[in-house]
Amino acid sequence: MLTGPGVAAWVCWLSALGAVALAFAGAERAGAFMARPAMQAATLLLACAVGFSGVRAVTRRRFDSALIHLGCACVMAGWLAGRYAVRTATPDNPANGSMAMIDGDVSDKLWEGAYLTNYVGRVPFSVKLEKFIVERYERNADDRDAGREGPVREYRSRVTVSEPGAPPYVANVRVNHPVRVRDYHIYQMSWGQSQDLYGRPVTYTVLQFIRDPGLPAVYAGFCMLFGGILLFAVRVFRLKSPRDEEEPS
Amino acid sequence: MMLKMTLQGGLIYLTLTLFLAAGVALRRGSRTVGRGFWFTGFVVAVMSVAWRGIHTGHPPMQNLFEFFLCMAAALWPLSQWSRWRNGLDTDLKDALLGAVILFPAGFVLGEEVRRLPPALQSPLFIPHVASYVAGYVLLARAALMALPLMRPSNAAARVRQTEAAVRQTAVSGFVLLTLGLLLGSIWGKICWGHYWQWDPKETWSLATWLVYAGYFHYRLKNGARAPRTLAALLWLGLLFVVLTLTWINVSRMFSGMHNYA
Repeated sequence: MLTGPGVAAWVCWLSALGAVALAFAGAERAGAFMARPAMQAATLLLACAVGFSGVRAVTRRRFDSALIHLGCACVMAGWLAGRYAVRTATPDNPANGSMAMIDGDVSDKLWEGAYLTNYVGRVPFSVKLEKFIVERYERNADDRDAGREGPVREYRSRVTVSEPGAPPYVANVRVNHPVRVRDYHIYQMSWGQSQDLYGRPVTYTVLQFIRDPGLPAVYAGFCMLFGGILLFAVRVFRLKSPRDEEEPS
Repeated sequence: MMLKMTLQGGLIYLTLTLFLAAGVALRRGSRTVGRGFWFTGFVVAVMSVAWRGIHTGHPPMQNLFEFFLCMAAALWPLSQWSRWRNGLDTDLKDALLGAVILFPAGFVLGEEVRRLPPALQSPLFIPHVASYVAGYVLLARAALMALPLMRPSNAAARVRQTEAAVRQTAVSGFVLLTLGLLLGSIWGKICWGHYWQWDPKETWSLATWLVYAGYFHYRLKNGARAPRTLAALLWLGLLFVVLTLTWINVSRMFSGMHNYA
């Protein structure tokens, strides 16, 4: 029978080997590789196998093992759901895209590509960039190579969000503080300096919009996984004598 | 190799000297002196972290240099906890481990101060890094404590006690490793937009986690019947930890989003 912790140990080690191979490939190629249908199917298979172990652990009343394995299956299922959303995205319902804006721009169109030249679709609300703000640290003696200005402390885009059928409101999009609108998270991705048509310098900001319906499953899986590992640790600490040794599940 | 002619450097070299002196004293059998040096080394290591925090104006967890300072300061409490919990005397190994951890901070890594970029200004910064600091220290200690299991021994009770202590240390490290991974993932979602981006450091951390997950499955299947294999597995895990901390951080081959160090 291809079940049990002995087999699972080898599954873990082989997956570790696979992860090392993906690390050598680099983020971009690894991501593209894992987006292949064959790898999605393999992940689905792994999620089913791990979920099966979890269900079996429930029947054996090994709740730490059950939480860990069901949590892992949940994370993988959530990831697959997110990939599915990317795969089935349409211009009316995009999953991922960015917009570059300068102060005063209004847009609901998302773009992708290194220079944001490929049209992706429209989000069901519009965003107006009121003002993009960069704040810097004071320069000090340590900033020898940082140019004339001090290092950047914070950058943020103050936007007005207009959803159909609701009054518009102002929100600040900054790094580490995404804004949630409908199904989308809006991220402050980057910013830069360029020139407009007349050669005048402008500062632009890049906002990224991401819709990931698998996220609740992933976070639920995280909670189960961590709870299960805590229970497992408690059990390892409670084992006193060899008589208390557990049975494999 | 470079010497740091600063207060920070002085504190690091003093800690190093105290840890090595503790190692020598404990090796010669003078326990009180050895433990005195070991504890004093810990106090200086804490001062070193505190001074770094005051000097830079942010939690000293931004780069590898600061990470190693924190690891050295975390060792002594974890060592005491292990003695209280398992009745094992690991002072000698831990003092030497502390010296090994501090060596790169003292002689290899630079101590330039960089202000926190926007990406690192998050309430998850300290929990994410601190979990990894303590987790890695515990896993390194588990591997060191497992060394006696490598030797063939007839004292079954002694082997069982050591193996139990090793497993408890490893499971504590594993809890923190998991916490660090999950917090990092959540932070990645908040900061970069995705909880998983196949960033090389992410992927190496997952590989490390899987190696230890394999260890626990193997332990569950075979019990403590093969202590040498269990010890070897913990050393394999430690190899992954060391690679994640060093090669992956330094090598251009693995440049990615974690390039703060």
